[in-house]
Amino acid sequence: MAARAYLCMVKVSARTVLTYRANFVLGLFAVFFQLLAMLYVWRLLLESGKDFGGYTWPQMKAYLLVAFVTSSLVSAYGDFRMAARIRDGLVSLDLVKPVTYQTARFAETVGRAALELAVTFAVAGSIALVTGGIPVPDLPQLLLFAVSIAAVVPLKFLVVYLSTLLCFWTQNYMGVAWARTSLVALLSGSLIPLVLLPSWLQTTAMLLPFASLTATPAAIYLGQATGGEALGLLLTQAGWVTVLWVAGRLVWRFAVRQLTVHGG
Amino acid sequence: MPAATMAVMPVIEARELTKVFRRPDKSEGLRGSLRHLVTRRYTTTSAVDHVSLSIEPGEAVAYVGPNGAGKSTTVKLLSGILVPTSGEVVVGGIVPHRDRIANARQVGVLFGQRTQLWWDLPVRESLALLRDMYGIGPADYRAQLARFDEVLELGELLPVTARKLSLGQRMRADLAAALLHRPGIVYLDEPTIGLDIAVKDRVRDFLRRLVADGTTLILTTHDLGDIEDVCRRIAIIDGGRIIYDGGLDGVKDTFARERCMHVRLTTDVDPQSVAALLPDAEVTPGGSPGEFTIRFDRFVLTAGQVIATASSLAEIDDLLIDEPAIEDVVRKVYSGELELEPAEDGVGAGVGA
Amino acid sequence: MTTTRPIATARMYRRCLGAHLRAALEYEADFWILVVASIMMQATGVIFLGAVFARIPTLAGWTLAEVVLIYSLVVIAEGVGSLCFEGTWYLPWMVNQGDLDYTLVRPYPVVLQTMSGAVGLNGVGNLLTGGLLMAWSLSRVDVDWSPLRIALAVALFLSAVLIKLSVTLASTSACFWVFGASFMLPTALHQVGELAKYPVSVYSAGIRVALTVVIPFAFVSFYPAAAVLGHGQDSWVGLLTPLVAGYCVVVAGAVFRRGLRRYESSGN
Ligand SMILES: Nc1ncnc2c1ncn2[C@@H]1O[C@H](COP(=O)(O)OP(=O)(O)O)[C@@H](O)[C@H]1O
Ligand SMILES: [Mg+2]
Repeated sequence: MAARAYLCMVKVSARTVLTYRANFVLGLFAVFFQLLAMLYVWRLLLESGKDFGGYTWPQMKAYLLVAFVTSSLVSAYGDFRMAARIRDGLVSLDLVKPVTYQTARFAETVGRAALELAVTFAVAGSIALVTGGIPVPDLPQLLLFAVSIAAVVPLKFLVVYLSTLLCFWTQNYMGVAWARTSLVALLSGSLIPLVLLPSWLQTTAMLLPFASLTATPAAIYLGQATGGEALGLLLTQAGWVTVLWVAGRLVWRFAVRQLTVHGG
Repeated sequence: MPAATMAVMPVIEARELTKVFRRPDKSEGLRGSLRHLVTRRYTTTSAVDHVSLSIEPGEAVAYVGPNGAGKSTTVKLLSGILVPTSGEVVVGGIVPHRDRIANARQVGVLFGQRTQLWWDLPVRESLALLRDMYGIGPADYRAQLARFDEVLELGELLPVTARKLSLGQRMRADLAAALLHRPGIVYLDEPTIGLDIAVKDRVRDFLRRLVADGTTLILTTHDLGDIEDVCRRIAIIDGGRIIYDGGLDGVKDTFARERCMHVRLTTDVDPQSVAALLPDAEVTPGGSPGEFTIRFDRFVLTAGQVIATASSLAEIDDLLIDEPAIEDVVRKVYSGELELEPAEDGVGAGVGA
Repeated sequence: MTTTRPIATARMYRRCLGAHLRAALEYEADFWILVVASIMMQATGVIFLGAVFARIPTLAGWTLAEVVLIYSLVVIAEGVGSLCFEGTWYLPWMVNQGDLDYTLVRPYPVVLQTMSGAVGLNGVGNLLTGGLLMAWSLSRVDVDWSPLRIALAVALFLSAVLIKLSVTLASTSACFWVFGASFMLPTALHQVGELAKYPVSVYSAGIRVALTVVIPFAFVSFYPAAAVLGHGQDSWVGLLTPLVAGYCVVVAGAVFRRGLRRYESSGN
């Protein structure tokens, strides 16, 4: 019964994704120019012959493209709408709906993620072709990679969702979104491979859910993690999804209690 | 324009003023946008169509017409907000859209539908910013605030952030903002829209004083009461064209003839029998038995006669007389149902267009 | 008369900005969130540079201190834009909503009313980070600080900020020609401007030319920095920064004025 409601949300959201296209294209644009700068900078750096974590130029290209895909996912700005509804108190209307708020938002995210995946992979693929190709792993590894990318969707959703819930306590979502973006960029490995960071930052990143967002899919794509090690990484992703899912429900319940106490 | 009316130099002079809006003709969605890129089709609207107006210093003109008639667009053309597609406009010797800064000093503008107050600032702060922009001296500023406080009770609004004002409060503060620099020419576009009676009265009172002080006023409104209180000349616009420009009396006499009364009787009465008793009125049955709408000419029948006739048939349960709406006149004028005599007090030029 | 006019205009600008600043500062939590967030954003870029230069002495012939100067110029230009001219970004929204109506009947230039119409507190974070980075960089670079060179640096860096502001104004003014509220050009161009955080010599010839003559973002950071540092034989190009700035200001102003003539308000 409820499952059908969520499935319906997925479909509706997938269809209405075009209404968000301006924001989506914008987000893509932002990440795209960072990617462009990074591609040029890294080509120069690797041509110098110095060692950068053992990456070759084709490998680094592949890394940057994987990072491009994972940073573009779940960025279709459903969060801004949610933040605005919380700020304006409209969220109390959502409370009376017979669906779980978190699951409903996730269903919408999944609906949009399909298009995001298609577009970002198309862009990444074209860039790979134009710049002379990137290494492609064998089929089993490619399947593991697909699974890890699929896991990024709920994981990134939860990171965004949890930070958006902060709007129950603060007015300014813009600042929250920027802070989150910076934190994710740094600690997920999308800014620079984690091995190149100072060791204390590396350790911090490994202890937090962020590394599962970019470092994990990249390591699997590049074959740096295979077999048991790769499975371990996927399990870590699954673990974080579970933990954050529960955390989301708890924070939500707490926030709503506050809301009702203060009378919306 | 007859030469006789040119005795005094007009302060606002519009000649064949025309504004054509062009909107892209695109259907919804991505497909529509893409198609537009290729075909570039537009729909055009003549919001203001060869409008000529000549207004003398100190005159108060009501500018009326149905929604979408072009009233706001005319005000925007006269105030220099829009550049006309064709035609000429001169206000106080200045072409408003060419010399905006000089024009700004002589005119005050208010659009009732939107505020000019800074959304996040207290009213006092907005007014102080305007004071500095217009270079109003401290003594004059204090005098103005005192004046606004007296008629508009502005004082209580000063510390409130614009965002938190009610519609009526906002309008009062906006009036103060528009008139702070003592403009000699004032355009007010629906300054009483959505206001309750008490605030409306206060605003009207304020406008009367403004006109008494010699301000030239163009007042756009849907409310007949505003017009009767403040203006003696009325210009009616429909479909972007001026269809009447002259004395208020000319409109009012004709306009006030028809009355419309809704009656509900306690028992079911045949409409035919009502109609039979009131041969000069037009009787139409209402939504339920015992309900009627009676239209009559007030020069032929009085409301008292109609009520007496109705109550002779059965006890009257409820009664409502329609407030005559200016829009009805406008519509009638346009469809030629009403004959308007040119005004006799000589301000206007009679039926235009 | 002619000398007091610009001063009065500038004072009025400060008045408008100050009023908005006071309003914005009323939400203290917002202030801190925005400042911290913008510092974090800039910090990630610095951490990237740090990690790279830990393994390599120069990037395209530029040392860390020199690259940081380039980087800081972009950060500062963005900071000035956010803190003092944030309203520029709201122009497309205002035009679409017909919100310019009242600005057109006030005796103060419409463009200045628009630009002073908002305050971006994140600019505080940008200016802090950018200022620190520039100070650190200038204390490290190998430059002989004669009074003339200091004057040159001030002139070039101010011009650089003007260029960034003008590009923003010109790109937002394009909204007068385009229908629709979701107007993406300014933000997209801003992202292109991020390319100028690194020496443009790392890019291919095509991008370099684009950043020099098409949209002169390279004059926001790379060329003025090169001129002040006396870096390379082409460093004289940076001396053109004030000219480029003058050109950009004139073009942006003209685009805005032409656009304003097309302003159609809105039909409710
Ligand atoms: N900015 C605009 N763009 C397109 N059409 C407009 C615009 N402003 C007004 N219109 C159109 O012009 C006509 C007159 O509008 P307006 O002057 O606002 O009428 P009024 O104020 O009498 O209700 C309407 O059809 C309206 O839709
Ligand atoms: Mg109107």
